[in-house]
Amino acid sequence: MDIVVCLKQVVDPELPVRDFAIDPATKRQVREGRPLVISTYDENALEVALQLKDRGGAQVTALTVGPAAALGDAVRLALAMGADQAVVVDHPQAPDLLGVEKARLLAAAIRRIGAYDLILCGCESADWVERVVPPLLAEMLGASCVTFAARVQPADGGLLVRRVADDGFHEVDVRMPAVVSIASDEANRPRLPKVKDIVAAKRKPVQSWPAGDLALPSGGADGSGVEVREVVVPQRTATCEFLDGDPVEQAASLARRLRDLKLV
Amino acid sequence: MAGICVVASALDGALSRSSLELVAAARALEGSGEGGIAAALLGSGPHLAEAADTLQRHGVAAIYRCDHPLLTSGQTDAALIATEQIVRRVQPGIVLVSADTVGRELGPRLAARMGAALVTEAVDVAVEGGALLVRRQVYGGRAMATLAVAKRPAVLTVKPRALDVPEPRPSTGTVEEVPVAIDGAALGTRVREVRREQAEVGLEDAQIVVGGGRGLGGPEGFKVLQQLAEVLGGAVGSSRPPADAGWVPISWQIGQTGKTIRPALYIAVGISGATQHVAGVSGARTIVAINRDPDAPIFSVAHLGIVGDYREVVPALIAKVKELQGR
Amino acid sequence: MAVVLSDEHRMLQATVREFAARELLPIAADLDHTARFPAQAVARAAALGLMAMTVPEEYGGAGLDPLAYVIAQEELARASAGFQTIVTVNNSLVCEPILRWGTEEQKRRYLPALASGRWLGCYCLTEPAAGSDAMSLRTTARLVGDEWVLSGTKLFVTNGVEADVCIVYARSEDIPGARGISAFIVEKTSPGLRVGKVEKKLGIRCSSTAELVFEECRVPAASLLGARGEGGKIALATLDGGRIGIAAQALGIARACLEESAVHAQQRQQFGAPLAAFQAVQWALADMATRIEAARQLTYRAAVLRGAGRPHTREAAMAKLAASETAMFAAHKAVQLFGGYGYIQDYPVERYFRDAKITEIYEGTSEIQRLVIARHLLGRR
Repeated sequence: MDIVVCLKQVVDPELPVRDFAIDPATKRQVREGRPLVISTYDENALEVALQLKDRGGAQVTALTVGPAAALGDAVRLALAMGADQAVVVDHPQAPDLLGVEKARLLAAAIRRIGAYDLILCGCESADWVERVVPPLLAEMLGASCVTFAARVQPADGGLLVRRVADDGFHEVDVRMPAVVSIASDEANRPRLPKVKDIVAAKRKPVQSWPAGDLALPSGGADGSGVEVREVVVPQRTATCEFLDGDPVEQAASLARRLRDLKLV
Repeated sequence: MAGICVVASALDGALSRSSLELVAAARALEGSGEGGIAAALLGSGPHLAEAADTLQRHGVAAIYRCDHPLLTSGQTDAALIATEQIVRRVQPGIVLVSADTVGRELGPRLAARMGAALVTEAVDVAVEGGALLVRRQVYGGRAMATLAVAKRPAVLTVKPRALDVPEPRPSTGTVEEVPVAIDGAALGTRVREVRREQAEVGLEDAQIVVGGGRGLGGPEGFKVLQQLAEVLGGAVGSSRPPADAGWVPISWQIGQTGKTIRPALYIAVGISGATQHVAGVSGARTIVAINRDPDAPIFSVAHLGIVGDYREVVPALIAKVKELQGR
Repeated sequence: MAVVLSDEHRMLQATVREFAARELLPIAADLDHTARFPAQAVARAAALGLMAMTVPEEYGGAGLDPLAYVIAQEELARASAGFQTIVTVNNSLVCEPILRWGTEEQKRRYLPALASGRWLGCYCLTEPAAGSDAMSLRTTARLVGDEWVLSGTKLFVTNGVEADVCIVYARSEDIPGARGISAFIVEKTSPGLRVGKVEKKLGIRCSSTAELVFEECRVPAASLLGARGEGGKIALATLDGGRIGIAAQALGIARACLEESAVHAQQRQQFGAPLAAFQAVQWALADMATRIEAARQLTYRAAVLRGAGRPHTREAAMAKLAASETAMFAAHKAVQLFGGYGYIQDYPVERYFRDAKITEIYEGTSEIQRLVIARHLLGRR
């Protein structure tokens, strides 16, 4: 099975509040000097790919769109964890792109990679949480689509996917090629690379393709009609009032407060 | 190309609540020259008539009803075919889709097929100065983005529970049956089984929610939270770590990735307060935090805080609440 | 020579930090309270390649340099100094001497098992009457036929309870001092070897510290590590590497103190302001941070020299001296800054305080480190 895993590098979402800022010019988060990490669920997607590789054999390609000059560790980490090769679509403004444009670049790169049975993505990016790339990729590539998958296993020449639904799970039969976005699950917690593989990752093949060289697919959703007008950090107004005393006194004053608020 | 079309889902049986939330969004836009409100109503079987009634009672003038045995829970591919057919026929300027399990797949795919503009996970829509503005959370709820959508058609997906169900506004209008051909064998995905793991009281509808986090230390901790929820008449939810660890069903998860709740009271127990979780509870009117760690970030969003061991505080709270209730 | 980390070293640091966050932080307090051996975490560390980091891949190790080793040890100790003790002994006091002085057969027999976590190692040098004056040790080794017979008692053996492989120093020649000592690789199942008293300790409590008693303990002649009479040299050279590992441990403890203190200072309100608003607190934090960075550079430098195969006895001693005294300094400041909370077990800083002290004592006390440094200064033996 040929698997492409799409990885996005984002500013660490657990960044302390004091380091979080919006750049008024780009209307995006200030990245400079902030630690970059692989977006949360993308690592789960990579783990699913590596588990499929461990079980039945697969060729796993890590794919990312980003400024090659400030790539950080995403690609190296993916290779250290066990991806066989990596492709970087070099785009200097990549962090500012919205999902519609990002999906177009990814689709073009996946076509150029050529062989693919399964494309795995995180269910959402930790920054803009658009959740659009997987379904858009599926449309552009003519592939099946399931999002928010907790489990993925081969079945009858296709896949059996457990999709997280609003009120439980759906077990979904999926035909390949398919684009599947991955939600976190106890079974797909990202592995840590073995320390020796961190060094060995340097020897694995990494290709860098300038975004301008890619043949972008026509059609698809239109990104030109959407403009980010403002991004603001809301001021928190709540100030916490602490209830003192021993546990019984604390509980009693909380119960009284809830009664006063007519919640009890 | 004009008008607003909501994609109303009755895939799970009755009309979904989020379909009515879409009607609320549509009603917020209709006075701005976008035109009237139509609905694509998808489902299967006799309950569709009632669903159409409900839509009409809330102000939907034209209903395009698609009744097909494949339009059931989770069948995105079938729903997409039906929706695309209706949208091509109606030619709306704006299509509103709920960002629920099916909608978050269907919305972007529909936009791709229509060559439409696309904004997802809206928490608010408005027209200001002639511009269609969509607001959505970004960066784990740390910031709010406003996007202006100039292009038509535009597909907007709306985060469930971000908007209230609108007041009834009876309208007279048409219900048209739209026949649609769906070849089940040609679909890329088929739902083999639906497994429901519903919270005891619907988490998203509860007025009081008790949430548990990593600080509970294990699945047993949720038992005492359930007792508390019971005496308060509320529901139990969780932050991400307990759901990831399998302590509770993933359907209990509250936060950016899980459910968004807007109860009158949210009690966070053993929850540190990661932005991912806070994004899902910031709409609560009153937030109470119980945590051993006085430095937990949850206290920066809570109104009332108790620093202490939940194993001592919560049982005492249950007893005290019962006392006040005269039980 | 300032040391700047390469991409690989940074990524290794992030990986071990994540390992520590997943596997150690959640259990660190419990390990300390119960003094239980963290068998599962050790197995997972081994799977990651942390038990034989500088051993070449052909012997099952990770094939990394001493700087990588130091970086990893700091991260482990940041989460649990006791756990790091278990790991650092296996790496620098057991794998390293086998790698450097072992025969090909010994390397093949022991290193893959020590790397994979199947076996754990311990280091038997100290005796009841030979602590800082290690070269006065009295355990004897007699060659009887094709076996060595070891007799004596070893004290304060880290990993002594769980270890499968012991590096044992014994007097094999009728010569006093270092030149009469030989080193042996002794398997724990050898007849005549038993675990004696298990110590109850102030800190690093999840690592066992035991007495090992050799009563006419018979091991094959091929158990000799290095040449006869070479044991003293092996012991001292091994300790150079060991001291770098302890320096890294001290750095980890010191950093834990600093990080916990910085968070606490910003969140704890007193007199209407966070502690961090008071200059006395700011100065304490600044002093901690500066001393940590200085000690870290000494430690990195010793590791880089070791990796380059250059002399580093003096640098290792300086690194350990500076880092261990920094750990004690930082722990002292942290407990004071936490006030009452620093004195109770609900907060981690009292553990750091107890853990820090050992770094000034084992693998050469601070006094011995000063002695080593002074010898290099004055050229006196």
